[in-house]
Amino acid sequence: MRETTARMLAAARWWRRRAENVAAFLLLAMFLCFILQIVTRYVFNYPLGWTDEASVLCWIWCTLWGAVFILREKDEVRFDIIYSTASAKTRCVFTVITGIAAIVLFGIALPAVIAYVTFLKVERTAYLGVRLDYVYSIYVLFSIGLIARYAGLTWRAMRGQPPDIQIGSGSAL
Amino acid sequence: MNSPFAIAICAILVFGLLGLPIGYSMIAGSILYLLLANLDLGTSAEQILNGLYNSYVLLAVPLFLFSAELMNVSKMTDQLLRFCDMLVGRFRGGLGHINIVQSIIFAGMSGSAIADLAATGRISIDMMTRNNRYPLSYAAAITAASAVIGPIIPPSIPMVLYALVSDASVGYLFLGGVIPGLLMAVAQMVINTLMAHRHDFPVEAPIPLRQWPNITVTALPALLMPVILLGGIYSGIMTPTEAAAVAAAYAFLVAVLWYRNITARDTYMAVLNSARSTASIGMLIAGALVFNYVVTIEQLPLTVKGLLASYDLSATMFLVWVNVILLVLGCLLEGSTIILVILPIFIPTAKALGIDLVHFGVVAVFNIMIGLVTPPYGLLLFIITAISGAPLRTIIRDTMPFVWAMVIALAIITFVPDTVLWLPRLLGYKG
Repeated sequence: MRETTARMLAAARWWRRRAENVAAFLLLAMFLCFILQIVTRYVFNYPLGWTDEASVLCWIWCTLWGAVFILREKDEVRFDIIYSTASAKTRCVFTVITGIAAIVLFGIALPAVIAYVTFLKVERTAYLGVRLDYVYSIYVLFSIGLIARYAGLTWRAMRGQPPDIQIGSGSAL
Repeated sequence: MNSPFAIAICAILVFGLLGLPIGYSMIAGSILYLLLANLDLGTSAEQILNGLYNSYVLLAVPLFLFSAELMNVSKMTDQLLRFCDMLVGRFRGGLGHINIVQSIIFAGMSGSAIADLAATGRISIDMMTRNNRYPLSYAAAITAASAVIGPIIPPSIPMVLYALVSDASVGYLFLGGVIPGLLMAVAQMVINTLMAHRHDFPVEAPIPLRQWPNITVTALPALLMPVILLGGIYSGIMTPTEAAAVAAAYAFLVAVLWYRNITARDTYMAVLNSARSTASIGMLIAGALVFNYVVTIEQLPLTVKGLLASYDLSATMFLVWVNVILLVLGCLLEGSTIILVILPIFIPTAKALGIDLVHFGVVAVFNIMIGLVTPPYGLLLFIITAISGAPLRTIIRDTMPFVWAMVIALAIITFVPDTVLWLPRLLGYKG
């Protein structure tokens, strides 16, 4: 039993590292697209169109992928004046309420979200010609990942473990 | 305003108060609205995805975060402190002034107050409290207060966010922030001087003139950053987003070639941390995109405009009220949420009253940034408490004089629009 738990934890850690690799790659790719675009335009006087689009795609994926797979609870921007002063038990209650609300609402929206994304299979991006349903599929992944994450948080909160948060660490200001 | 909207607002508030991240609260509340109003739930995905896809200007945010991370890693800060000491160390309260001047220079390189504080906080506080020269709480207070200058002087992440919701030009917003940012610094230096005289804070030994060239050369790569960044934008060579990428590339090259203290691991961590902040702020933007869609369907901004029109407010009185509301909200809410969610409600009224949107934006951002150091919810106060280990209560006490000084500076830029608009107009702004 203990061995299985240890193995699952190791697998979770491995997955998190890989998810971090992907997010880091997307950010780096976005940055390099910009550099390439600037260099070709000003040094070689040969403006590229696709770099703009590629960097936007990286930004969308980096945001949604990162939000669901690499953000820790303490990285989130939240209103924590009440939450941070509450006892561990109250926090668990809060987490269960918000967790169930998130699961239900994102869950109800999921079929419509999938319908919207698959509907876009006829459209393609302007320069690279990537099918838009592929590009936007990240939102479906995001929704499912989010539901799974809140299921996990709710489950743990029901057993008395509130998520670990840290005040104000998530803002970009 | 019908009931699905009221229920959605209540839901967002309840989710938020109970600790659900603000971005998710807004998305969940908006889904609830769509459900109750019998609209297509897929609209939530549509608004977020198309919004992210079409807001090219937002790409500047991750890139500015990346360049700030790289600068933190490359320890440019140490060289800058010597340079600031050379400039202002010999005045009464010298280390306090050094702290402020350093924040001005850092402000020209990064667009985030938190990044500035993370980069310079520890070093500045150590420097000020060594041999008990300054009280710890005062050192923490001035370090937090001076970090507020970061997002006022360009580049500025909050101004990019404002540009997104207002369609004002990022370039002119950046220019509009220069004088207000310097004004804020002057206000803080006045307070520092007063405090230094009252508490008899020490003076630093002047640095001999013959060392000046050497110190300046060592700090030069860091000092050149704002020149490259702003020069690139205003000469029209680069868009602000491209300039953000160039800033990151420059920070990386300086770290590798000049200071030679960056490892592959450091670089990876800088990329990863930026990706993390990107996701965090990106979720807030996603939430705001779908919530603002709901707000638009409900025509809330127009309702507010109509309501205010019935009061026959003058432009000045409107600005005063907006300032008061934002200062109060700034004590309670995280700043980017205010910019993305609250400001759009006021923008149509500001336009109708003939208020220039660059002026309005700079005033609003200036105001909201003061909120970073006002209790009970002051992001920088929490961070500096963690960095310094001083009790939050004493830090708040010592920060308050700076807050009042910044509010006076806010009043000046509110009532004298030229303090904001003079520089953009000088460089071609037609507003």
